[in-house]
Amino acid sequence: MLTVVGKGGVGTSTAAASLALLAARGGADVLLVSVDGKPGLGPLLGGEPLTGDEQLLRLIDGSGGRVRGRTITPKQAFGDYLELKGFGSLLRRAASAASFDVIAGSTPGMEHLLVLGKIKELDRAKAADLIIVDAPPAGHAAPFLRSATALRAAVAGGPVRDQANEVCAMLEDHSRSQCVLVTLPEETPVNEAIELAADLRDDIGLALAPLVVNACWADSPGARMSAAAAAKQQGVTLPVAARRALDEAVAFVRVRLDAQAEQFARLDAELPLPRVHLPRLPVARLFPQHLDVLADALAVEPMVPEGAGS
Amino acid sequence: MTALDSVVREASLIVTCGPGGVGKTSTAAALALAAADAGRKVIVVTVDPARRLADTLGIDNSAGGDPVEVAGATKRRKGSLWAQMLDAESTFDRLIVDRAGDAQRAKAILANPIYRSIAGSLAGAQEYMAIERLHQLSTSGEWDLIIIDTPPSRHAIDLLGAPDRLVTFFSHPVYRVLTVPGRSLARITNAGANTFLWAIRRLAGAQVVEDTVEFFRSLSSMEAGLRQRAAETSKILRSDGTAFVLVSSPRAEAIDEAVHLKTALHAGGFPLAATVINLVHPTPSPLTGSKLKGLAAGPLADQLALHADLSMLAVDEAREMDTLRTLAGEVPVIEVPLLDDVQDLAGLAALGRLLC
Repeated sequence: MLTVVGKGGVGTSTAAASLALLAARGGADVLLVSVDGKPGLGPLLGGEPLTGDEQLLRLIDGSGGRVRGRTITPKQAFGDYLELKGFGSLLRRAASAASFDVIAGSTPGMEHLLVLGKIKELDRAKAADLIIVDAPPAGHAAPFLRSATALRAAVAGGPVRDQANEVCAMLEDHSRSQCVLVTLPEETPVNEAIELAADLRDDIGLALAPLVVNACWADSPGARMSAAAAAKQQGVTLPVAARRALDEAVAFVRVRLDAQAEQFARLDAELPLPRVHLPRLPVARLFPQHLDVLADALAVEPMVPEGAGS
Repeated sequence: MTALDSVVREASLIVTCGPGGVGKTSTAAALALAAADAGRKVIVVTVDPARRLADTLGIDNSAGGDPVEVAGATKRRKGSLWAQMLDAESTFDRLIVDRAGDAQRAKAILANPIYRSIAGSLAGAQEYMAIERLHQLSTSGEWDLIIIDTPPSRHAIDLLGAPDRLVTFFSHPVYRVLTVPGRSLARITNAGANTFLWAIRRLAGAQVVEDTVEFFRSLSSMEAGLRQRAAETSKILRSDGTAFVLVSSPRAEAIDEAVHLKTALHAGGFPLAATVINLVHPTPSPLTGSKLKGLAAGPLADQLALHADLSMLAVDEAREMDTLRTLAGEVPVIEVPLLDDVQDLAGLAALGRLLC
């Protein structure tokens, strides 16, 4: 199980979908799970919007691998849990006595635990070679992953504690479960990745897979010189207007490249995990063909900063 | 001058909302700074600011949630800028202590394990606290303008719906039964509630049920007050002096969320004053008159590729922004270019000039 986490807007869903594609290319049967009910992951892989019912998103010719996808919301997980525990007929009556919100909401952390419990069941039933979970964004990733440890500590006995114990066993088994942190090469996302890494690894005891830095600017010799110098090197004469247009574009990118280099240096020093850089694609909306490019980039051997563990 | 110029001068409440990672908090702070500069006494309340922005505003986790005046924010004699961090756990504790009636009851609630996990993490706790805070700020009469920076996206809708949900929750039959006086669950005779409790007990265990019932029971002394403030806050959010500002970026995920939010705001009767699209990439000047097709690899080819990428990105972003613009109808849309760094006062002032 791989849980893909990051703050809002850094591209966790994109990274989760690309990882799923990469694993399927290698022949794996992958189940991609969105836990906050975001349907967009389906179309990104060339399928329909995700629902609570599993669907085939991508079949890889030759490798035999495939990506299936579904959402797991607390409500769905609750229904499944009731069924598993033989509550089928009771569900209707309980639901008429109290809305789901009152039941799950009155047991804090329960919503997250229900979802993790469902994932644990899928894992136990060997529903796939690899389950990739697109975790809730913003400040909600750590509470999501912490729910099991928190409830284990808060509840002395009973089914909730059993469930919490089993989920903890899955998350803490580093051969079964790892977290993929996603960030951007910018100051605030890097700060947040460093904080989140400490939370997940030191506080909750999870294993961290290589870090994914999304939307990296590509460096090139051309980005480091004036248009006039570049034209001279290639033996071309450029009109003034063209030189100016190129200089503008280069100046803009160079500022980003410098800021990005600074953040790479900070990651080297403060979050020494092996890491993979995803290219920044020149589009505002991603389509399935873009995912192939990102999966290629993920396939590259991660770079290992000095001081990074194995 | 844009629509937001008159908003920061005249509104009494501004609520910023939008997806994560689009500069929502910076936008809220920049509007607050602009209003302070216009001579108003302004407070900006934020949920989860980035570290350096929190430093700039003088708020961090250790500030304990009290309003802090932002030093050097404005040179105007009349205007001032204050900031406050909404920390659900500590404000919830304070609410309990203030409203529980007596110290022993407060102590009992604070020690309840269900309460302890609700205060920090329960979805909704932060939203309820935001209502309490907003109500407290707006009835204090101390502020010319209150700016509330909401949590990202979906949670913003939770926040706006919280006053109404709270009222519904307290009217719920199960809640009513759970809070009947008396210690023993045996006294609960309502059949529906019995089924409910039996279900929870089997699902969650007996101890969880006891703690939950106890927690709701102890809350019941505060119910009338919470309910009344929730109803009043619901009215404030929809009043003439309130302006919602939707913040997005031109990226598809953000645009999709913003479209969703825009619809939800409209459906909820919340008055939208403007849409701000941050982080817009520049369109480079066109490369006209040069015949450079088929150029061999080299630095100039790098530069042409880079220019082509930026141009393509600008076109793509413009198309995404059009979706939001079409939907916005009469409501103004303000585009803000990708700025280098909006985390210090100079950066906020520059952003404010682009907004107002």
